Amino acid sequence: MNDSDAPVVLIVEDEPDVAETYERWLQDYDVRRVETGDSALAQLDETIDVVLLDRMLPGMSGADVLAEIRSGAIDCRVAMVTAVDPSFDIIEMGFDEYVTKPPDREQLRETVERLLHRATLNGELQEYYSLVARRAALESEFTEDRLESNDEYAQLVERIESHQADVDETMGDMASDSEFVGAVREIMDDSSGTDASDGDEFTDLTE
Amino acid sequence: MYDIADVLPAGTISELEPGTSLLIAGPAMSGKQDLALNLLAAGLDGANGLLIVTTNESAAACLDDLEQRVTSLDHDRVGVVDCSGSSQQQSIRDIATQRVSSPGDLTGISIGTAKLMQQFTSQDISSLRHGLVSVSTLLQYLDLETVFKFLHIYTTRISDTQGLGIFTIDNVSHDPQTINTVMNEFDGMIELRETETGERKVRIRGIPDAPSGWQPL
Repeated sequence: MNDSDAPVVLIVEDEPDVAETYERWLQDYDVRRVETGDSALAQLDETIDVVLLDRMLPGMSGADVLAEIRSGAIDCRVAMVTAVDPSFDIIEMGFDEYVTKPPDREQLRETVERLLHRATLNGELQEYYSLVARRAALESEFTEDRLESNDEYAQLVERIESHQADVDETMGDMASDSEFVGAVREIMDDSSGTDASDGDEFTDLTE
Repeated sequence: MYDIADVLPAGTISELEPGTSLLIAGPAMSGKQDLALNLLAAGLDGANGLLIVTTNESAAACLDDLEQRVTSLDHDRVGVVDCSGSSQQQSIRDIATQRVSSPGDLTGISIGTAKLMQQFTSQDISSLRHGLVSVSTLLQYLDLETVFKFLHIYTTRISDTQGLGIFTIDNVSHDPQTINTVMNEFDGMIELRETETGERKVRIRGIPDAPSGWQPL
């Protein structure tokens, strides 16, 4: 199954055997493979969802590649694949996750799935926000008595509750440092250029 | 439970459930920051750690505020993320400080708090009181939607780690709809106001068993 809608994973790994193994494990995704940091940056575009980046690359290091990715306009999730336990460094460097080498099939797939899941977080939070903002608009417009008999309000309250459950599921475990920082990075990457239209949406409602 | 005995009026609330986040709302000069620091510093008598994100005040000023409240402050139990842009690095003695260049850099703030939390964990401090003073400054740098999303993530983290969150907002410089939207992310709200005679009043909303209505602080 390799249809064009499958999420795209870019593997940056200089050992062909290792890269092939990863590709086999991830065969239900659209996998691309490169061997150096330079070619990774050349391949990078909006279509890429997740990058699996080896820490020890010939030439440009994994950390340098990541710094380049983060300073550019492309927002994708990057997991470092590393033989040494990187501790906190990876969070400060800007990695979203790390996988210790050699990873097993399950570990690698779980990491990719978690990162793909997180890619939907900003959109879900955005929708949740617009529902909450709409309720806030109604609440500042109408008295409690009038809200109680308002069907739209009752539906809104219900939708907010079910949406919150979805958002919280997508967020994952916020006790984890890397997931927490990754979630915040996700909303910041996309925060430019999303505001104007939403603002208009609830202004209309209150006028 | 987080002990906050003697901070709020007698007969209101004296302790808070782990995982709770509260928003303190009031006009300028109504004592929001004072109250926030009192609620946070109350944990230093016990074994709690304190993690403060300060947007206006420098880490050094924040430390002074705490020292005024706690005799023989244990510096190892305080961490500050300073995004006030202050340059008084030398004046901070020995509390853990993370600097973030701007209150608009939420990724930087989250990394700073995560680092300080790791430090607390390594000292076996697991009960943490988190302060963020203030949400209003974040709203000066970022749109409401982004701040809302951040607050959702941050208060969920406080809840997932069984912490206590104390945030402040100026409820006069934002419209009621903004306050209402932000409020969604909190378990309860403590409102402050000053009467014409200069008396400070407090009202608690959203906390089970807390009496409603204004009370003198």
